Amino acid sequence: MSIMQVIVASGEIDPAQSQNWLLPATSEIIYGGLASIIIFSLLYKFAGPALKKGLSDRTARIQAELDGAANAISTAQADAANIRQAAGDIDAERARLLAEADAQAAAILSDGRERLTVEIAELEARAESDAAGLSGRLNDELRVEVARLSSSVVDEVVGRSIDDATHQALIEDFISKVGAGS
Amino acid sequence: MSDARIEGYARALFEIARAEGSLDEVEDELFRFARSFESNDALRSALTDEMVPADRRQGIVETLLGDRASATTTQLVAMVVGSGRGRDLPEIIDRLVARASAAKELAVAEVRVAVALSDDQVNRLRAALANATGREVNLKVVIDPSVIGGVIATVGDKVIDGSVRTRVEQLKSLL
Repeated sequence: MSIMQVIVASGEIDPAQSQNWLLPATSEIIYGGLASIIIFSLLYKFAGPALKKGLSDRTARIQAELDGAANAISTAQADAANIRQAAGDIDAERARLLAEADAQAAAILSDGRERLTVEIAELEARAESDAAGLSGRLNDELRVEVARLSSSVVDEVVGRSIDDATHQALIEDFISKVGAGS
Repeated sequence: MSDARIEGYARALFEIARAEGSLDEVEDELFRFARSFESNDALRSALTDEMVPADRRQGIVETLLGDRASATTTQLVAMVVGSGRGRDLPEIIDRLVARASAAKELAVAEVRVAVALSDDQVNRLRAALANATGREVNLKVVIDPSVIGGVIATVGDKVIDGSVRTRVEQLKSLL
């Protein structure tokens, strides 16, 4: 039921006496207006603060949520940055480790080559020395053997070659020299 | 053997030979036996082996010297060998010779030759060595084939070497 129907039903206004089919009667407008003003005033006075507070709280809650989201975004960005930095650090560390490993491998290889070169040189020198020593020893042994063989041969040959006349000549020569040497 | 004991044996042998009145002969025979003893390994082994009984060693001496040396010489060598001093026999005899030479104011001259010397050569060599050393010498001739030829004379610490062996050795050292 509309307001008009209520008013008509109350018998105070006759709809047929309305000046406009669309607008209510003036008094109705006035009363209605006043009533509306009163109602809105009351609403403004008693419900307004609560409404304002509710809106304010909601605004604050939304702002807090926005701030939280912003913080979350910031934190996420910071974390992302940290992760990216960590990833970068890991890459750099990996590169450094690889470079260090390469350097160590190169140094080990270089040292190994140098050591091998030195060892080869030492082995060659030792081999030459051993060969020289062996050669010298063989020469010495050969010389000793030749001397031993020639010694026995010389003793025999010389012993045979000295006849009695030579013996006598040697003895006489000795006696002469010793006697003359006084 | 200690030096004093060797000297004691030498003095004893010297006194026995002098008491027997055959010092020159015994001294000469002992000297030649000592040189043979030094150069003959088998003889040296037989006379110094303590596993061989003393009377067996003395029997060897008597067999060897019985008809080649005087009885005094044979008995003196047998005594030394029988007493187990055979190893020191050359040194004992050398001390005896030195003592005998000193008693006659002579220096011992050991002469090694490859062949025997005639009496004339011995006399001339003695005179030559006396001239060379300034002392009269008691000449002891040793026949040593290892000399090969020539003469090696030793008077005290002095050695006069005119042997072929030494020249050959020098030649060998050059090889």
